[in-house]
Amino acid sequence: MPQPILRLNSISKYFGMTKALSAMSITLNSGEVHAIVGENGAGKSTIIKIMTGIHQPTSGTIELDGKASIITGPQAAREAGIVAIYQEPMVFPDLDVAENIFISDNSDGLLMRPSEQRKRASALIKRIGIKLDPSRIASGLTLAEQQAVEIARALSQDVRVLIMDEPTASLSAHEAGQLRKIAQNLAGQGVAVVYISHRLEEIFEISDRVTVIRDGSHISTKPIAEVTSDGMITEMVGRGFSKYFEKAASTTRDEVILEVRNLTLEGVFENISFDLHRGEVLCMAGLVGARRTDVALALFGVMPPTSGVVKFKGQTTKFTTPRAAIEAGIAYVSEDRRKLGLAMPMAIKSNVSIVTLDDFLSPLGLLKGEKERKAARHFVDSLNIRTPDVETPVGMLSGGNQQKVMLAKWLNLNPDLFIFDEPTRGIDIGAKAEVHDLIRSVTAKGGSALLISSDLPEVLAMGDRILVMREGHQMSILKHSEATQESIMLHATGQRQETI
Amino acid sequence: MKIALNKLQSWEGFLLCALIFITLLNVYLSPQFLSFSNWINLFQLSIEKVIVALVMTFVIINAEIDLSVGSMMGLSACAFGWMIQGGVPGGLVIIACLIIGVVGGAINGWFITKAGLPSLVVTLATLIGFRGLARVLVEDRGINEFPEWFDALGQQGLIGPIPFAIIAFFILFTALYIVLQRSGFGRKTYLIGTNREVADYAGINTARHKMFLFIASGLVSAFAGLLYAARVGAVRGDVALGFELDIITIVLLGGVSIFGGSGTLFGTLLAILIVLSLRNGMALTNITGHVQTGVIGLLLIGSVIAPRIHLTSFWRRLKGESL
Repeated sequence: MPQPILRLNSISKYFGMTKALSAMSITLNSGEVHAIVGENGAGKSTIIKIMTGIHQPTSGTIELDGKASIITGPQAAREAGIVAIYQEPMVFPDLDVAENIFISDNSDGLLMRPSEQRKRASALIKRIGIKLDPSRIASGLTLAEQQAVEIARALSQDVRVLIMDEPTASLSAHEAGQLRKIAQNLAGQGVAVVYISHRLEEIFEISDRVTVIRDGSHISTKPIAEVTSDGMITEMVGRGFSKYFEKAASTTRDEVILEVRNLTLEGVFENISFDLHRGEVLCMAGLVGARRTDVALALFGVMPPTSGVVKFKGQTTKFTTPRAAIEAGIAYVSEDRRKLGLAMPMAIKSNVSIVTLDDFLSPLGLLKGEKERKAARHFVDSLNIRTPDVETPVGMLSGGNQQKVMLAKWLNLNPDLFIFDEPTRGIDIGAKAEVHDLIRSVTAKGGSALLISSDLPEVLAMGDRILVMREGHQMSILKHSEATQESIMLHATGQRQETI
Repeated sequence: MKIALNKLQSWEGFLLCALIFITLLNVYLSPQFLSFSNWINLFQLSIEKVIVALVMTFVIINAEIDLSVGSMMGLSACAFGWMIQGGVPGGLVIIACLIIGVVGGAINGWFITKAGLPSLVVTLATLIGFRGLARVLVEDRGINEFPEWFDALGQQGLIGPIPFAIIAFFILFTALYIVLQRSGFGRKTYLIGTNREVADYAGINTARHKMFLFIASGLVSAFAGLLYAARVGAVRGDVALGFELDIITIVLLGGVSIFGGSGTLFGTLLAILIVLSLRNGMALTNITGHVQTGVIGLLLIGSVIAPRIHLTSFWRRLKGESL
């Protein structure tokens, strides 16, 4: 009979008015690998943050070894033996393996003699079940080895619940196999392993039980033997569609505006091939790590591809700077507003005029202030941006309104090709619908859109065709008529591949 | 009224109040203070620094720094002396010195934009390098046999009692003010300083922009070095030694953020006037130079802390609104 170690009882978590988790219940038993699956934004990371004390639940209780407990913070979680490791391991590159293992504050590492430290380190490494010289310097380790070091560090602190969040996302197949073996070894020693992954085949390989979550709610927890991949995907994506997400009529025309053939950026993505027509919305679907943004950046001249052909408006092009792409008529609306999209402390009007600044200059290079304000006011009205005036710094606006300012600066350019990268992530449903309308009005006027989205209802509502990627590979291009959330997920998780 | 209040709450508003206070105090202590000749004297003594402070304002708003300005002033002045001594005609020498400034700035710009090194490191290296060159040129001599017209340009009034350097300062200030606060180039300077990646993704050639600023910085520094040579009438290897610190102090005191993206040339002008009148006032009341430096240091600390206080309240407000 497995012993429950950690139990979440009906945990809810709100961030302001936004619900991240509602009545979530999960029990972790000793000796099991417990997979948690769900779409991006389903609430997996919130669960981890509650288990590791980074967030406090709004309501609900947590039981540790059958006793009601409060995990007051990361320190308390570590003392209770709850440790999380992530995709990017946290090691100190200039220290050796043994020093990295015993670095943490509740081991007496700093007082240990190096020889003693190495002996104890090798014992821990042996427990994990891999070969690793404890005197090697961490910067020379592979990612998987670095993760093993993190796990050994957790073991040195008597870990009881080990949470692995997408641990294999950036590993090669061989390394990923190594890491899965470690997870199973630890479970065999009585640790409760929480395993979060987008790779469904991994989940079938190593987990004992699977919990599916969706929109912050618990959907099911079943032994792996009772689960099929189709069934799991159906549970992950759910059924309900809101009326916002009904597909509008396609405005696709005959003319091909963008022709991409065997586009490759070595080590990142390879052999991406598609056509984009005037007036068409081509969605790029896939999970985290599918490398869709990298394809967009290659087209936009940020990261020039290593091979392949791109024809834009009938001409073979090789953009090596965003400026060249912009001059040709390509706009890239970044997914990262803060870092790449907007100058937050600057006024709305200054952000709106950034891309097309030359249009707002007199022959002497002086700014035409009134023309600039007028353009900004035009977009504030037409895009329904809620702000006191156009002099307000963009950083003072809500996320949805910031997003609209970012769209406005590219609309000024009047480009032939819009690349939208997650244009509705993190904004509320009303603003989302407005962004969708805007994309449709752009394509109705003869622009074309490449829309990267991880939001499956959005992909189905917007995409005339859907290109599904997985780990740098093009899995398929689906027509809207043949695409369902299930079929997209099957391709995105590598359960099915079509030749095209 | 509300706008006026907001303006007063800004750092520039504070500087303006401080300037008025210092001026009134100075007038009370010495009626001589407001006299025209006192102000010309006051400006003339620091004219090279305040001219370079104007272009340094651009560099720092762009989120870079140029530590080599003092050494470039020295190099330009020494190169002038060396070539004059070698019998090269004065006009040609001046052009050559300005070219040295352009080349020096381009060297800084190349390492920063093409090699991708931080400007702090690059200009620290050229601070040493330019100074070394200056010392090689004049060794430990002093050179003072300049053409008469050159000495006159530095030491006598050009328009009435106003010398050439002060006129140059105000022309430069007006031109740069328009460029920074009213032109597309100025807007890009702020944008790149606020977030270089946003500028890159908007298709702005940020590398070229930075290159241009460093060349301008080198050119203006070389020009200021010539002004120094003309005013003093002699050059040595240590001309303008350590000036970069005074120049950067003035710019930061003027409210330009060391992290880039904010500040104005008006702020720099206010800081110039404050530093000048503070030093002058303290000198009139027999306060020693060390105490003067201490007072300006305190002001500088204030200028670094003030925007931070502003920022915290900004974030608090933002948080309060989103919840």
